[in-house]
Amino acid sequence: MVKYQVGDFTFELDHSEPLYEQILDQIRHAIARGDVQLGTKLPSVRDLAQQLKLNPSTVMKAYQELERTELSETRKGQGTYITNSEDKVLEVKKTLAQSAVHAFTSSMKDLGINRKIAKELLEEVDW
Amino acid sequence: METALKFRNITKTYDNKSALDNLSCEFPEGKVSGLLGPNGAGKSTLLKMIVGLVKPDSGEILIWGKPPAISVNAHIAYLPDRGNWYDFQIVKNALTYASNIFPSFDIKKARELCESMHLDPEAKIASLSRGQQACLNLIFCLARDAKMILLDEPFSGIDLISRERIIHGIIDTIIDNRKTIIISTHEIYESESLFESVVFMDNGNTILTGEVETLRSQEGSLETVYRRLFR
Repeated sequence: MVKYQVGDFTFELDHSEPLYEQILDQIRHAIARGDVQLGTKLPSVRDLAQQLKLNPSTVMKAYQELERTELSETRKGQGTYITNSEDKVLEVKKTLAQSAVHAFTSSMKDLGINRKIAKELLEEVDW
Repeated sequence: METALKFRNITKTYDNKSALDNLSCEFPEGKVSGLLGPNGAGKSTLLKMIVGLVKPDSGEILIWGKPPAISVNAHIAYLPDRGNWYDFQIVKNALTYASNIFPSFDIKKARELCESMHLDPEAKIASLSRGQQACLNLIFCLARDAKMILLDEPFSGIDLISRERIIHGIIDTIIDNRKTIIISTHEIYESESLFESVVFMDNGNTILTGEVETLRSQEGSLETVYRRLFR
């Protein structure tokens, strides 16, 4: 996997997974973790496509999804910016955490581990 | 999904050797498609048929619903797998010459592409490296305001930096205008993130076609799929 630094964002692309989802996920995570400040400008579609050698439509699709979920906003003639709303960021963080929990519970179920034991395991683990 | 290009039951034989064997496939409008497969799979023959350089023995080709014709070619920019420009010209003059012979050739765009690909306008064609030649040939295609662009092996035998410049040129071209682009190649690693749809060919026929992002989620990278199909 190759790492790319584009503006304030870091990307890592794996050709064996859908690229659109990776772009979207990595921007979402950067926002949720606070790696990028609120109101930061997103790289232009051209810059991101050129540096990651992506089809511009893949980048546009990811940007549209960010905008649809109000994580970003486009200012006419200026570009696209990350939201300024801390509530929005909290919301995303929660959504990402929930999907992580879902992934965790399904692997536990897969192993035949019930809620009680899983809780005990969680208590034991280094946090 | 709109279809730009349809091949139906295409057969072509050269001196008893089958090049295409009852092939049928489609290419979507306004997307970048990869035409992938080993040497001799029939990729070049397929591309040549679109612009009428090769005629099928049987079968039907439809480009935006029409059979291949000169009038259709006006909207298609085709990069042959083996192309050479006039050795005696310098780059600058080659661009002017191209603007006189190619339909809808945007010389301003050609000059911009030259600059972004680091081609010296004063350089003699004969003095260009193979990679620089390839960039120049690509510019002749990309600077045309064509609805369809066919690139036959644009990366083969070309150094890494030139390959990257070619990819940049392609991205720059499609960023403002959606175009139907078909790129034949067996060098997948650098180009696979450009492809939206893909046709794998072997022995004169298609062996796998599909949307690239769907293939990725089901089978992994195009490189992996390619290895599985051709190893």
